Amino acid sequence: MTGVLELGARALGLAAGCGDVQITVTRERSLLSRFARSVPTQATAVDDTSVSILVVRDGHTGSVETNDLSDDGLRAAASRAAAAALAAAQAAGGPGEHPGLPSPGEAGTPSSHEGFDAATADLDPAVGGAALATAFAITAEHDLEAFGIWTAGRVETAITTTTGLRVADDVTDAYLKVIARDARARSGWGAAAAVGIDGLDADSVTRQAVARVARVDPVALAPGAYDVVLEPDAVGSLLDMLGGLAFDGLAHAEGRSALTDRLESVVAAPCVTVTDAPLMVPGLPRAFDADGVTKGPLTLLDAGVARAVVHDRRSAARAGGDAVSTGHALAPGGSPYGARPTNLVLAGGSATGVDELIAGVERGLYVTRLWYLNVVHERSTTLTGTTRDGTFLIEDGRITKPVRDVRFTDSALGILERTQALTAATSLVCEADFYGRRAAHGCVVPALRASGLRVTGQTTG
Amino acid sequence: MSAVLALLVDVCDAARVLGVHAEARHVETRDEALAVRNGEVSEVATDIAAGIGIRVRVGGGWGFAATREVSQAGVEAALTRAIAVARAQPVGVAGPFAELAHEPARGHWAGPCEVDPFALSLEERLAHLHAAEAALRTTTDDRLVVTTAHTRSRRTRTALATTDGAACTQERVETGAGIQAVAADGDETQVRSYPMSHDGDVLLAGWELVTSLDLVGNAPRVAQEAIELLSAPVCPEGVRDIVLHGEQLALQVHESIGHALELDRILLGEASYAGTSWVGADALRRSGTLTYGSEHLHVIADATLPAALGSFGWDDEGVAARRVPLIEEGVLLSALSNRQSAAEVGLAESGGCARADGFARQPIVRMTNVSLEPGSAGTLGDLLADTEDGLYLETNRSWSIDDRRLQFQFATEVAREIRGGELGRLYRNPSYAGVTPEFWGAMDAVCSASEWRPWSFTNCGKGEPGQVMAVSHGTAPARFRGVQVGVA
Repeated sequence: MTGVLELGARALGLAAGCGDVQITVTRERSLLSRFARSVPTQATAVDDTSVSILVVRDGHTGSVETNDLSDDGLRAAASRAAAAALAAAQAAGGPGEHPGLPSPGEAGTPSSHEGFDAATADLDPAVGGAALATAFAITAEHDLEAFGIWTAGRVETAITTTTGLRVADDVTDAYLKVIARDARARSGWGAAAAVGIDGLDADSVTRQAVARVARVDPVALAPGAYDVVLEPDAVGSLLDMLGGLAFDGLAHAEGRSALTDRLESVVAAPCVTVTDAPLMVPGLPRAFDADGVTKGPLTLLDAGVARAVVHDRRSAARAGGDAVSTGHALAPGGSPYGARPTNLVLAGGSATGVDELIAGVERGLYVTRLWYLNVVHERSTTLTGTTRDGTFLIEDGRITKPVRDVRFTDSALGILERTQALTAATSLVCEADFYGRRAAHGCVVPALRASGLRVTGQTTG
Repeated sequence: MSAVLALLVDVCDAARVLGVHAEARHVETRDEALAVRNGEVSEVATDIAAGIGIRVRVGGGWGFAATREVSQAGVEAALTRAIAVARAQPVGVAGPFAELAHEPARGHWAGPCEVDPFALSLEERLAHLHAAEAALRTTTDDRLVVTTAHTRSRRTRTALATTDGAACTQERVETGAGIQAVAADGDETQVRSYPMSHDGDVLLAGWELVTSLDLVGNAPRVAQEAIELLSAPVCPEGVRDIVLHGEQLALQVHESIGHALELDRILLGEASYAGTSWVGADALRRSGTLTYGSEHLHVIADATLPAALGSFGWDDEGVAARRVPLIEEGVLLSALSNRQSAAEVGLAESGGCARADGFARQPIVRMTNVSLEPGSAGTLGDLLADTEDGLYLETNRSWSIDDRRLQFQFATEVAREIRGGELGRLYRNPSYAGVTPEFWGAMDAVCSASEWRPWSFTNCGKGEPGQVMAVSHGTAPARFRGVQVGVA
């Protein structure tokens, strides 16, 4: 981490005279191997470092991010950021709402965590190659083809400020997914996410995907309300969407959040407790947010009762009262779109496994994963999306036949309100769709059973 | 030849000596986002990135390495890394790769830009946004909780060299702007946007586009409609004839035609993430045998469409921009391809659709400008007058489609009842759903060329690691018979 801290210090020095400045250095090194039809298709290696310079002036911000790390490049970026903050201040004609950069005391001391793995940081492409070879061999044994990715990355982050903050974090992440598919387009899903490559068992992930490939053709299912058992990947997708819809402190402050007027009210079943646990393993630990504020555990839903929303420094200032940053800034200075939790954990329940959840369903659905979720209505947390890569009918407490993928349109909070049981075991699930700079995040969740999932359509063919 | 292009040519020469096919791209982007929100400047952010990405093909395997080190040592290290990554993959069957059918890409191409937004002062641009955002707040109704005016400009300079002789440069400037009002009351939140949702109206253009939008003039109506929607009745469930506004129709084209006709999806190359397609490869090998929609459905992929975001001189494999008919009179003719996928189905040449997001991503099949050609239904007024009973849906709010691009569900910000050929009352939370070939088969009228224009989306995600791409779709409003509405 010395390198990114030194770069942060150098950039801060070059920004001298620009006012209140926060430097954020991010270095990504990553590998991603992609495969389809049991053949490697794309392999990507990235090595890039960027410096973000945030200037705060009279409560207004300007920012510039660059990967030109020369003195001239950084000096020019700092000048541009200062000019942006000045223009924002002049355009407003009065003080802005940004509360200023945190002092070391306000930011807190970053907690140590176990989010780094040295073997993963080596980024050896042969490790990925071996994982692919395993996936290809196992699927071939079952006359199936493998599709998916193996990826590993190391991201170093340093923040230095004119208020004296000087913090750094160094994290790794690894992810493998395998979709096994037969010639009739029937597919099954397996995935694993971890801090390190040792957490990816290609054999196990592939066998899980193979086991979920239906051996007979799927049947149609009429729209209606169905009891449902959701595997952790499906639960994680719902929880991730809920993170932005329900817990964004800016939306809450502006009266447009799902939890507006509902804090300290019952919004989910008593078996539902959701926390943001940024230091937990399994999980993808992070020491501080994009403002440099230390991260720590925060209870959001406690036995079904809404307890808190999350804030960055800017949204906390907007909310006023006793609101403070909870360490959830998504961008230096706070994202204009608000704050959100990035390490959500849904506590496990008492069910011994998915079979026990299934045993409690007279007629319903077993869903492996969800796809293309989008918000239909923010306040009610109504989402729509489809199932994918393994959807089955449950009859009389057991899985009886595959079902064509279905579309659902339902409230994410509503599903948690109708949750009846959860498995004791939880796992880390991660989407690993790395747009822009790699920023791995995931949810730690159990499988769950809920009543009355609203199925509104079905794919054909 | 610029120093950077010479560097790329040199590294391709080195790759050729090693017997390796290589493509080296230098991409320099400057992205600037400005926004005024609730009376305050909420965003003045610039993102500058430059670097080199090298893709190699070694014995049928592919490797790609990206670096910000724009130097001799940097490109040599990236080439070595790309080869090492390719060699670390399990040995596969070498797939075909289409030869260039024309001369290698040489020269320079630039998109249109009259008033360079980066040459204007921040103060001038922020003043424009302040005026627009203030015009949203001319109402004193406290149910209006968020008002936003935003603009975005992006300049991309690209240099490309390949071992098969390409050595070209390109420059594009994208500019756009929009306004949005959010109203909330009780359990209801409603939004209205102008000229469209997503990132507003964005084109290959300069600041002249922003000043042409009349954001200030439209702002009071936008704010008022957001408030009106709070108390409007919910769109009733049922089967109705619908008329889609051009923007919503553009997203419908994007999701249920554009993505479905990406040849890498059809060949299962995207099954791990974006998905596959309901269209099979056989439908392309036996062109003209698959009915995609009604006889009113004519779709063209056109990378030469002026000012559209999917336009360029050459794609990121060095294939010249072209105009490819995809569907004529409802019958499928072709697909969107790159050199690899084209060769796999036996096409003589690539469709010129290889595009990459920045220097750190490799080219994959992406849409150019996939447009629904205009019909003969006259103006929007003519089409509405010809519709006895139905709904007019405007401005996308939500979208979702399955991984084969078959079953979809969309929601718009607003619907208006059509009764006796005239627009009537407002409905809130409108939505509609359908299945791709049935839906396009139900299209019985498309407005004429006077209503046709490109609509742009800057947030199309695909690929692993993820890539965001900007694209435009030309559309005119169109009518669909017997569509399921009110599903959400």
